[in-house]
Formats: sequence, C-alpha cells, structure tokens
Amino acid sequence: MAQKILPKKKNIIGRTYKDRVFDAVNTAFWFAVLALILYPLWLVIVASVSSADAIFAGRVWLWPVDFSLIGYEALFQHQMLLRSYLNSIIYTAAGTALSVIVTMMASYSLSRKFAGRRLFSLYFIFTMFFTGGLIPQFLMNQRLGLYNTVTLMIIINSLSVWNLMIARTYISTSIPNELYEAAVVDGAGHFTYFFRVILPLSGTIIAVLCVYYGVARWNDFFTGLVYLRDESKFTLQMVLRQLIVTMSAGTALDSLMGFFGDGQQISDAIRKAEVVKYSSIVISTAPVIVLYVQMQKFFVKGVTIGSLKG
Amino acid sequence: MQPVCGQIRRVNARAAAAALVSLCRRAGKAVRRDWQLYVLLFPAFALVFIFSYLPMYGIQIAFRDFKAAFGITGSQWVGLKNFTDFFESFYSTRLLLNTLLLNVYGLLWSFPFPIVMAILLNQINRNRFKRFTQTAIYAPHFLSPVVLVGMLFLLLSPSSGLVNNLVKVFGGQAHDYMMDVTWFRTLFIGSGIWQSAGWNTILYIAALTAIDPGLYEAATMDGATKTQKIRYIDIPHLVPIIVMLLILNSGAMMVSNTDKALLMRTAGNIPKSDIIGVYVYMMGLGSGQFSYVAAINLLVNVINFILIISVNWIARRLNNTSLF
Repeated sequence: MAQKILPKKKNIIGRTYKDRVFDAVNTAFWFAVLALILYPLWLVIVASVSSADAIFAGRVWLWPVDFSLIGYEALFQHQMLLRSYLNSIIYTAAGTALSVIVTMMASYSLSRKFAGRRLFSLYFIFTMFFTGGLIPQFLMNQRLGLYNTVTLMIIINSLSVWNLMIARTYISTSIPNELYEAAVVDGAGHFTYFFRVILPLSGTIIAVLCVYYGVARWNDFFTGLVYLRDESKFTLQMVLRQLIVTMSAGTALDSLMGFFGDGQQISDAIRKAEVVKYSSIVISTAPVIVLYVQMQKFFVKGVTIGSLKG
Repeated sequence: MQPVCGQIRRVNARAAAAALVSLCRRAGKAVRRDWQLYVLLFPAFALVFIFSYLPMYGIQIAFRDFKAAFGITGSQWVGLKNFTDFFESFYSTRLLLNTLLLNVYGLLWSFPFPIVMAILLNQINRNRFKRFTQTAIYAPHFLSPVVLVGMLFLLLSPSSGLVNNLVKVFGGQAHDYMMDVTWFRTLFIGSGIWQSAGWNTILYIAALTAIDPGLYEAATMDGATKTQKIRYIDIPHLVPIIVMLLILNSGAMMVSNTDKALLMRTAGNIPKSDIIGVYVYMMGLGSGQFSYVAAINLLVNVINFILIISVNWIARRLNNTSLF
C-alpha cells in the first residue's frame, strides 16, 4: 500500500514556506540581473535599426522606432571598415591556426617526462610574470623588421603561456599513459603518437584553444595600435575605435549638444554617424557572440581545466 | 706534498671527466630517444624567445639615453638618471597612486559579486532558466574593450544616450559622465563588474557542483531551509577558493588595464585615468621618450613580479595551490 502511494507524492519533504519565499526572491533577483545585463545589449541592437531622429529625440527604449537600415547601409559604403573587417578575419584565422598548432605541440612535449622538462616549463612560465615592457618590445620588433607588417600581426601573441598550461594539464590528466606505452610497444615514436593518438583524442582542448585564441585575436586592438601604420592593414577594432570612441571623446560635439538640449543645429551627417556607432557594434560583435553561444561548453571548460593544477 | 697534490688533482680531473662523459652520454641518449619532443617544443620556444626574451635584452635602454641613431647598445649609459627623473617629476605619485587605487577599489568592489551570483545561481530550481541565465551572464565577457567603452560613450552620451534620456524623463539635467573626472573610477569599475562578474562565477560554480549531494539531502532531512544550506554547506565549501582567489588577485595591484583606460581617456578625466600603462604608451610611442618610459615600465614590472611571487608563496603555504 505504502509503496503504491510513494511514487505519486514526489516531494515527500516539500519546500517549506521559507524556501518558497527564498525562491521567489531569488527569481526576482535573477530577473533584475538579466535585465541589467541584457537590456544594454538589446538597446544597441534596437538603436542600430532605428532612425537617427528617434535616437536623438530619446524615443528608442524597447523596440525599433522608425525602422531603418541607414546605419548598415553606411557601413557597407565605408571602405576602410570593410577592409579592416577582412584584415581581422585574416589575422584571426591565420593567427588562431598557428597558435593552436604550436600550443598543442608544445603542450604534448611538456606533458612527457624528458631531460630538461622543468627548465623548459620555467622558461615559459617566467614570461607570465615578467616582460620586457612595451618600449623594449616595440624596439626589438622594429629592429627585426616586423613593424607595420602582416607577419607580425599573425605571429605576435601566438603563444599564450596560460593556454599552454591548460592544454598540458588536459593532456596529462585525461589521456591515460597506458596508451603511450602501448604505442611504444607497437613501435611508435613521439611524432606518430602525437599525430595519431594525442590529436584525435584532444578534440575538446583544441576547441577550447580555438575559441580562446580566436576571441582574443578578434577583440585585440592594442597590438594594431602599436605596430600598424598603414590604414590598409588596420584591424576592425582599430577602425571601430575611430568610429565610436574617438568620435565621442575627441570632439566637444557631444557636450555641446548636451548643452543646447535637443541638438537641432547638428547636421544630418553627424546624426547618421550616431546610428553608425550602434550598427558597427552589432556587426563587429555578432561573430563572437554567435561563436560563444554555439561553443559555450568549451569556453566554460577552459576555465575549469585551467583551475586544476598540472 | 707537490706530487700528492698533483695526484689528487689528476684523480679529480679524471673523475670530473668521467662524470662529464657519462652526463654527455646520458644526455645524448635522452636526446636520441626524445629528440622528437624537442622538435615539437621548438616553435613555441622560438616564439617566446623572439617576443618575450629578446625584448628583455632591450630593457637596458632604461639605463641609457636612447637615441634611435645609435641603437640600443650604442646609446649613452646614464645609470639611474631615468628613474630619479621619474621620482622627481610631478607625475610619479599621481601615476602610481592612480594605478594602485584603480586596482584596489576594483578588487574590493568586484570581488563579492561573482560569489553571491554563483550561490544564488546554484539555487535556481528550473534547469532551463538556469542554463539561459548562465548563457546570458557570461555573454558580456566576450565584448571587446573597444565595444565595451564604445557602449559606455553611447549610453552615457549627453545628447542621445539612454542614461541621460532617463535623467531627462525624470526632470534632471543631462550630464557628460565620460568627461567628468569624478565619475571615471566608478564607470571603469562598474563596467568591469557588468562585463566580468558573470564570467567569474565559473570557478565558484565548479566548486559548488563538486559538493557531495548527500550533504544537502541530510540537511533536508534535518529540516534545513535553503538559507541554512547556503550558510552551513555552500559558504564553508567556498571559503578556501575565495581566500585563494583573493590572495592571487591581490598580486595584480600594480598591473595596468591599459586598453580600457586608454579608450576611456577623455580630456576631462585625465587626472584619474592617467595610469602607468597609459602614460607609458602616450609618452613612449606618442612623444618618443623611450628611455624614460622604459625605466618607469621596468620599475613597475619589477614591483609586479615581486608582488605575484609573494602572493604565490603565501598561497602555496596556505593551501598547497599556486599559479605554477
């Protein structure tokens, strides 16, 4: 009798009154947090498809007002932005591929026991804590003839020691050593073992490295700022900075308009520039956000692997 | 005496030679066996050498009066002049203090958010809502510094920004926050929390999911409420990792977030936004004062190095964990 009743009442110990209050408060808390995080992002998207007049009049709150694609049209006529978008794709794709290959090779090496391993580890880790500084780095790269070159944009920062340590930890903790012993018995050397066994088993960590290196590259603007002179080589983030930040901070325009209140006397071009700011944020960030939503579990995995001690 | 001495020397020399030969032989054997490992390591080794170790050779310009025409080693040696110049300048205290305070306030304000969020996230009952929330709160982490600061400028714009529109709706006066020096740290740290608090919950959530479910079941049997479970199960389990992250984070108190500070810099907020990294960039690459700036950078890098090594040492003593 009792056994028949039991499955029906799933929560024999139900939530107490206090727990229900707690849950209600918790839900309210998370709705507030979500609003706080998502609303600014939503507003940028909405403003990017609204008319400049609506934005300046402060009529854009939740939905597009006077729907228009004027911001996006302007972007597609912006030669420098298109050029930089292509550049960023090239730097990111080539740089990430290089980074992942180099990191996987080195992390496999460091996961094995061999003469000088500790010394090599120290060699890499030391650079996490001490660097030459911006100016010596700049002078050295300039002397190597790398200033203002595409080569520099691809190979600089292509090894992150942090990612190297994550990959090493992954290889030494999740690929059993018995595989190596078996491979050696079958006559495999390190190359064969690395390419035929380690790489096929490292799908997860390779995905983690791809997304970490890829996003870091795409979002980086400082390297380009320091090392690039030709506008034809500029990265997307550099052009974005000119479009959004320098335009807002550099001119006293904004404060002037704030002073006059409604900004009636500002020309159309400047109003259009304001919409362009929103739409350029959308087109530059969309690839990263799409990637993130698709590959979310790999992003999270990287952090938790990294927190293990290798 | 003489012959004995010679003998000893000969014997020592012979032993040393034998040891050397055996070492070479062992090394040779190791290299023969593992040469492929060195080959696999080489590209990473070379990249780090070119981009991290070669510049360290260039640090010497901090002690020279660098002139591009003479090159690094050809420029005149001036000893500590660049350092004393910095400490005698009006900017030194301001720069060091700005860098330090921005980090200290940043740590104090941002640190509690991920902890509270992780604990409360762990209490969400519906799995779909939980997953959606996680996806949403991690998202801002992926915005680039340019986009984040760009959004600040846009949302705070006195003419068209959301914040000032709200202020105007409630009858207030529009205010240019980005130009206002008193708002710089608030905006810098606040936007940092908005961007990173969610992402920084990951480690705490991992720690919470590692807790034995038996503890919660036992607590439920004893009639514990959710608040009590948080108080007596969650928090005690989080304390070690909280302490560890606090210690490790405090090793970065003189590190400059150059990207963001440079982007947020406006004519109005320079007295607060002038931090070491920005100054190094502006004076070094902007005004070409290479040696002077390299000296400041070296000084700060040494401070950072000492800080991080000490906090690691403390962390290791406390908990047998460390960054390396």
